[in-house]
Amino acid sequence: MIVSNWRKAMMPIVLSVALLFSACSSKEPSKYAATQKETTGRNAPAAVAKNAEAGGDFNKFFPQGDAGYSRVFSQEKKGFAEAKLNKGGKNVAVMSISDTISVPAAAKKYERSTSKISSYPMLDEAPLKSTGVLVNNRYQVKVASRDPSFTGTDRQAWLKKFNLDGLSKLK
Amino acid sequence: MSKSIFELVDDLPTGGLTVMSLNALDFAIPGQWQNTVGFDNTIKVVTGTDDPEYVQAIGERAVALYNDKGEGYQTAMWLYNTVDSGSRLLGAAAMANKVGEKFAMLGFLGNITPKAETAQTIDLSVKLVAEIVAYCQINGIPGDSVGDFLAGLGDYGGESLMRMCALVCFDGLIPLGPDFISMVMDKMGGMSPGELEGNQTFKGIKDQIPGGDTGGQLGFITESFGNVSGWMSDFVTSRGLSPETVVGNIRNFVDISDDKLDYLGAFLDVSTNYYVHTGTQTLARRLIERAAAEM
Repeated sequence: MIVSNWRKAMMPIVLSVALLFSACSSKEPSKYAATQKETTGRNAPAAVAKNAEAGGDFNKFFPQGDAGYSRVFSQEKKGFAEAKLNKGGKNVAVMSISDTISVPAAAKKYERSTSKISSYPMLDEAPLKSTGVLVNNRYQVKVASRDPSFTGTDRQAWLKKFNLDGLSKLK
Repeated sequence: MSKSIFELVDDLPTGGLTVMSLNALDFAIPGQWQNTVGFDNTIKVVTGTDDPEYVQAIGERAVALYNDKGEGYQTAMWLYNTVDSGSRLLGAAAMANKVGEKFAMLGFLGNITPKAETAQTIDLSVKLVAEIVAYCQINGIPGDSVGDFLAGLGDYGGESLMRMCALVCFDGLIPLGPDFISMVMDKMGGMSPGELEGNQTFKGIKDQIPGGDTGGQLGFITESFGNVSGWMSDFVTSRGLSPETVVGNIRNFVDISDDKLDYLGAFLDVSTNYYVHTGTQTLARRLIERAAAEM
């Protein structure tokens, strides 16, 4: 009898401890949980559009390295090519061309553009220390700083070195 | 279900044997490797932004890219995982072999356990090939282009350089000694496809190694090692690396007496997973760079 009462008395304590532990161990859902759900599973959309340009087709429009800057190609995926710009053995910027057919919002943001390089709309994204132009309403060319010594003026100067007109003729 | 990229990066440890052993190699590549962990934190470190809207947008694009199996990121992650778990088995085998040599009673173990040196030779070479294939999966250069890999290797930095440094130190210098490069080249050159076939690490990633059949794959592995040997040799010389300097730094966190040094390679093998750790960091960095450029 005593044993039984003792058990009864303990039960709420045991239960609340168990609840406490299970509450502590269950994590809050991640802020990326929705994206994770949308992009996995059988009917998940591809991250890169089928008819995106091959990344290798972009390589020839990149500027060469010069005046102490060396250019090293670092990524070449469908719809995307990237090269690092190094100076004195240090990475100071990354240059890229991407096909916005896979990310339409990337092209749309250039509607906010108020300035141009050649005839192409230019946009500076201060939080990313990145400057881009949109060519043919489709190809985004970007230069992003990776070192404080590489300024917004440098980014624009390097954007001008791309063969933007050549890129605009890409079929 | 496999883990999401944000969970993998969020779950990277800030301490433990892997992190301690990598920190012990800071003397070889001073300041090159910071143990960057956490998905949002990696976005901030790579892009320099802490604007929550940008971080979220970059993160979402990176998650989508990783989840698209055709993009190769998951294959790269699988490679890093597979060569690390393979080496854990190898470590157990190497330990058993040592015990077999020490105690005559257990000498029969020598019959079923590969000779530590041969197993280690294959392990090192296969890990290097895994790096080449993973590099190409992540960066998109065709999987059999050793030349493109070498251009990239010259530009390796951060966690990628640390992974190569650990490969040279933990899988080369410590278990095989100061002449490991020529030793591996000799051994691989005289190896039969059957010997390679029996190796766990090789079996784990066999389907991803270019070359067709095992004979062709052996050729690819041997050739790849030969091509990277110059870089490794320069790395060892220019950083003043030797088994003694590496062990000296590891002694900062592992208490090991001189007569047990033979066990150190096996100990590191079973107790660390530096390939997965730094591989996850490399992959996250490349994904985030691409996501930031594409948005």
